[in-house]
Amino acid sequence: MSVAGDIHKLLDETVRRERGWLISSLVSKFGPAKVELVEDVAQDAIVKALATWPYKGVPENPRAWLRRVAGNAALDRVRRSAREFGVDDEWDFATEEPDVITPSLSDPELDLMVLCCDPAIEPKDQLFLALKTVCGFTVAETAALFFMSEDALFQRLARAKRKLKAQSGELARFPTRFALHARLPQLLKVIYLMFAWGFLPRRGQDLYREDICREALRLSDGLFAATEGKAAGHHALHALLLFQMSRLPARVSADGQLITLEHQDRTLWDQDKIFDAVQHLEAAKSSDTLTRYHLEAGIASMHAQAPTWAQTDWASISRLYELLNARTPSLAVLVNWAVSLMLQGELNQAEDALNTARALPGAEAFPAYHLARAKLAELRGDDAGARTARELAIACQTSAPVAAHIVHELGLEG
Amino acid sequence: MAKFVLMLPHAPDRYTKLGEAEFMDLMKDYIGWVEEMSAKGKFEGGEKLLDEGGKIVTNKSGSIEVHDGPFAEVAEILGGYMVINAEDYDEAVEIARSHPHMKHNETIIIRQTDASADE
Repeated sequence: MSVAGDIHKLLDETVRRERGWLISSLVSKFGPAKVELVEDVAQDAIVKALATWPYKGVPENPRAWLRRVAGNAALDRVRRSAREFGVDDEWDFATEEPDVITPSLSDPELDLMVLCCDPAIEPKDQLFLALKTVCGFTVAETAALFFMSEDALFQRLARAKRKLKAQSGELARFPTRFALHARLPQLLKVIYLMFAWGFLPRRGQDLYREDICREALRLSDGLFAATEGKAAGHHALHALLLFQMSRLPARVSADGQLITLEHQDRTLWDQDKIFDAVQHLEAAKSSDTLTRYHLEAGIASMHAQAPTWAQTDWASISRLYELLNARTPSLAVLVNWAVSLMLQGELNQAEDALNTARALPGAEAFPAYHLARAKLAELRGDDAGARTARELAIACQTSAPVAAHIVHELGLEG
Repeated sequence: MAKFVLMLPHAPDRYTKLGEAEFMDLMKDYIGWVEEMSAKGKFEGGEKLLDEGGKIVTNKSGSIEVHDGPFAEVAEILGGYMVINAEDYDEAVEIARSHPHMKHNETIIIRQTDASADE
């Protein structure tokens, strides 16, 4: 990778990770009522700290440096406005935080996730808030994840923060085990969405953000430690994340192009992760509730077991997508279902699924939808239709590598 | 090899109205450039100057007076400086051309350091 590319990746990873850490640590100290102020403080501190790097170069250990400098800047600001924060100014910022946070609910990031998933806040807003604050995503990234405009997201975030502020007292700061249990499904969803972003960013230059995937896995691990895996679907979700992670080494070519499942060198898949995933999928079977994670992990396990693309059990996969669609219909599910139907030659059924997808908001902006249309047209020998659909796919706002992949895959270069 | 100082001025409100994403993009360009120049042995060091504050000490009127920096009235403030290694002004100018400051701001002032007393 080029120097500029390395820097880009390093900055994105470091800032996202440290912003999440700083916000979580500050909220765990001051309580959810101060979340907005805390976000400002964290952001200012990080920007201020970073402003010297163009003159000094990147420090030896950027994360530790940023944590120290931005942490101190945040502390200064807090001390100056101690009354505003409602704390005495004797409080000392914990500078000796270990770099790898022990997975437990003593983890400030998990704690903040629990706070964001407050039932007083609308379920969708809980997710926005958690991704924005805990995971360190920007408004632009969070908006892209949900196919929303930045303005709309901004307003919903403001509303969620107002609700969170209204929650005060110790209970809001340290939810009981009961409250934690009630919020588990939402916590799993946050982890799932976070991973989804890391696995296939919808904006920017990166093909995948392994740091985000690993972070989601770490939070999932931490939640296991805190809840003994009691959340329905947690084992299945963890299996899903591991199955997906196992394929990362095979997903990018030497020249940085996206390689789809069909063309991946399956010997590059991480067998240790697949082994762990299978264990978790086994454990998931004892759950008395069937969740979407069970179905998705099931699909992922079919791929993991298939020796080649052609020998994949498409019938089982499309059956699982059908079940998934019945539970949680979504654009991505419908499109994938349609593709699995096409691979079995069920073109009319595939078209039905795609027509249903088209009625959903965001379909026109979802490149995979257009690619599935293109494939269907191709299978029917409609070359003009296929070409139109491909052009629509490229026109979608998406991350640069995914767009490059579409261009490459479809032979549209030049 | 001689040393040159690159002075990097910018408009007073250049960075105050930027969104986070834009600011990060600027940072990436600058940091990437510094890392690249360091790898080539061209970058010696530098300092970011704080945008706020600044003092002027003068004895124009016969006694020493201290004033706050007149930043409100100036078109540009000095954001910081960098020291680079170059053979001569030609090379220093070449290096300045590639500087992201030329993409994101308007001016770089180059001055060679007087090395005659060094050894």
